[in-house]
Amino acid sequence: MDLSVLLIVLLVSPLIATLIMAALPAKSVGRPVYEGLHILSIVVVFCLAVYLVFKQFTTGQNIMAAAEWFRMDALASIFIALIGVIGFLVGLFSVPYIRHDVEVGNMDNGQVKTYYAFFSLFLFTMLLAASSNNIIMMWICIEATTLSTVFLVGVYQTKLALEAAWKYVIVCTAGVAFGLYGTLLFYANAASVLADSTKAAFWSEILPYASQLDPTVVAIAFTFCVIGFGTKAGLFPMHTWLPDAHSEAPSPVSALLSGVLLKVAVLVIIRFYVLTIGCIGQLFPSIMLTTIGILSVVVAAFSVYYQNDLKRKLAYHSCENIGIVALCLGFGGPLGIAAALLHSVFHGLTKALLFCISGNVLMKYGTRDLRKVTGVIKAAPATGTIMAMAFFALAGFPPFAMFNSEITAFMAGWSAHQYVVIVIFAIALTVVVCACAHVVSASVLGEPPEHMEKKDVPWSALVPEIILACLILWFGCALPQPILTGVDNATSIVLQQDVDPADTGSLLSGIANAVQGK
Amino acid sequence: METGYMIVNLLGCVLIITSTLVVLSRKLKQAAYTYAIQSLVIVAMFLTLAVTCGSTDLYLWSGSAFITKVVLVPAIMLYAIKKIGPKADEEIPSKLGPIGCVILVVIELVVCYLAVMNVTLPTAAEAHPALAIALAHFFIGLTCIVSQRNILKQVFGYCLMENGSHVTLALLAPSAPGLVETGIATDAIFAVIIMVIVAYKIYKKNDSLDAGELMNLKG
Repeated sequence: MDLSVLLIVLLVSPLIATLIMAALPAKSVGRPVYEGLHILSIVVVFCLAVYLVFKQFTTGQNIMAAAEWFRMDALASIFIALIGVIGFLVGLFSVPYIRHDVEVGNMDNGQVKTYYAFFSLFLFTMLLAASSNNIIMMWICIEATTLSTVFLVGVYQTKLALEAAWKYVIVCTAGVAFGLYGTLLFYANAASVLADSTKAAFWSEILPYASQLDPTVVAIAFTFCVIGFGTKAGLFPMHTWLPDAHSEAPSPVSALLSGVLLKVAVLVIIRFYVLTIGCIGQLFPSIMLTTIGILSVVVAAFSVYYQNDLKRKLAYHSCENIGIVALCLGFGGPLGIAAALLHSVFHGLTKALLFCISGNVLMKYGTRDLRKVTGVIKAAPATGTIMAMAFFALAGFPPFAMFNSEITAFMAGWSAHQYVVIVIFAIALTVVVCACAHVVSASVLGEPPEHMEKKDVPWSALVPEIILACLILWFGCALPQPILTGVDNATSIVLQQDVDPADTGSLLSGIANAVQGK
Repeated sequence: METGYMIVNLLGCVLIITSTLVVLSRKLKQAAYTYAIQSLVIVAMFLTLAVTCGSTDLYLWSGSAFITKVVLVPAIMLYAIKKIGPKADEEIPSKLGPIGCVILVVIELVVCYLAVMNVTLPTAAEAHPALAIALAHFFIGLTCIVSQRNILKQVFGYCLMENGSHVTLALLAPSAPGLVETGIATDAIFAVIIMVIVAYKIYKKNDSLDAGELMNLKG
């Protein structure tokens, strides 16, 4: 089948699943039907996303659909792969998690229907945002991700869940309105430059004319875009919605929010970053992103350390890691861009795993308070082992994936001569390492509460987590060649120049070259 | 052409007055009606621009703006106010007094005017005042969200921000395809509906629309 058609099928299939689930009456249709439709939806998204991304990475050909409206280049492919893989694994984890919620009375059948219908809608809006070539469509899709997830955040309908949902919707819609303003400025600017103004909404059409755009308008527009989409990405100081929404949402939703949604917002920032450096050069975006990035890392690192709520702690970790991505973009150059893209992928996988683990902890202990969660490895050995491993991975220890992207980030900073920034970055990461080590020593190890039965969560919950753990271990030891090629190609798109595969095709050779000053 | 842009700039001034009144309205119903009037001013701006620039798309915009901004948004808000009942009319003091709000609006207007003066796009040449007002309008919306404690009033803040963006688009790209405008307007309507649903659920749970009571999640 034609790849363009497959791309349309990929985009439309979760929407169809949502519409079918929405049409089914919750009173007469049981949970298994919703589970079946949900699994069908995530399997189709996974298979098509992986197939299309593999094709894109191996052939290097952009997949276009609906004229120019959808464009799957190497940059979009990285994020579509993330949506497909994490969406599938977290979707699988959802089934035992929601069953447990129903058993303990946290959810009724109506809420189950809401959960599964909006889960697929969430995947649909993220896939649209990642593959959109139309900059206004990108904004609409990012806004739609907020609207599709607000009921997921507030699905428990408790006072706290509704408070989190309100803060989420008001902060993100107001924040993303900045993104709209910035997008419209880019569009209006392009419309005055392009001979055919109907093409001015298409990113790929604006790109060749980036140097002809009005520099003042571009600088204002990029600032608005960073504030707007940075709110959605969870960058400081617009991150305030993040700990509330992540902590009150069901754990699989937190995993998707943190693992994928924040990165999709980063992708949109990257798209505008490319246009901006094409017009006004690297300096202005670099200063802005480096400043926001390092502030996010430092502020979040201390919040991570002081936080006792497991999910809030993980939420601040997300802010810190999105800060690292922004920092890498600020450093620029092939290493900086490659580090930003790799860190998006690696952190997405690691954080999805950790939020799923937080779900295990909630199922087992019934609390997120780390002062009450002790001896996980004795009470639930598999969960405890994966939890320890995931926290070491999040701390950036080898041989896990995030070690590679963080060390590349340091090298990118070194290459960019940002010595003060990398020293502050190193201190902040040390605080994060301490925070992660403390969770392992105090919660994973130690004695479990009295009378706690030694029994793990169901295998159906553990299997997706084991797969995620294997992925972060695998990518930490040897990143598969198609992914490396994809990252090379995506880096070339961002920098608008061919990146020699010898430089970043092998990360280690890239790092070695940077150290040698090549 | 000059007369057309003069009318647009004058309508821009009316826009600032109406948006300030939305922020200062003590009752939600007042805010909804003032918002409808303001949207009518935006429709008039679009029509004037359509005639001035000869853009057929702008006629379509003014039609869709009338439906979404003058009719739908106020109707949704009034429906929510009616559903909530007398509690909706209960005055919740804002974090910033009326004088403070007006001073902030003036500051925003001056800063935005200074920022916009450097824009050299051909479409902006004759509409610098209106452009500054559109940008200021956006920030007045943000001021409304930050300063108001009534959560339904905060929804109006978002609507003002969206209106500011819309007017900017019309001023800078009058020939933008209707599809672009329709997409933005539709998305904004969905946003309003969803925010109103969440606000209503919060009201049912807390028996109040006060954002000050949504402070349990901290740290």
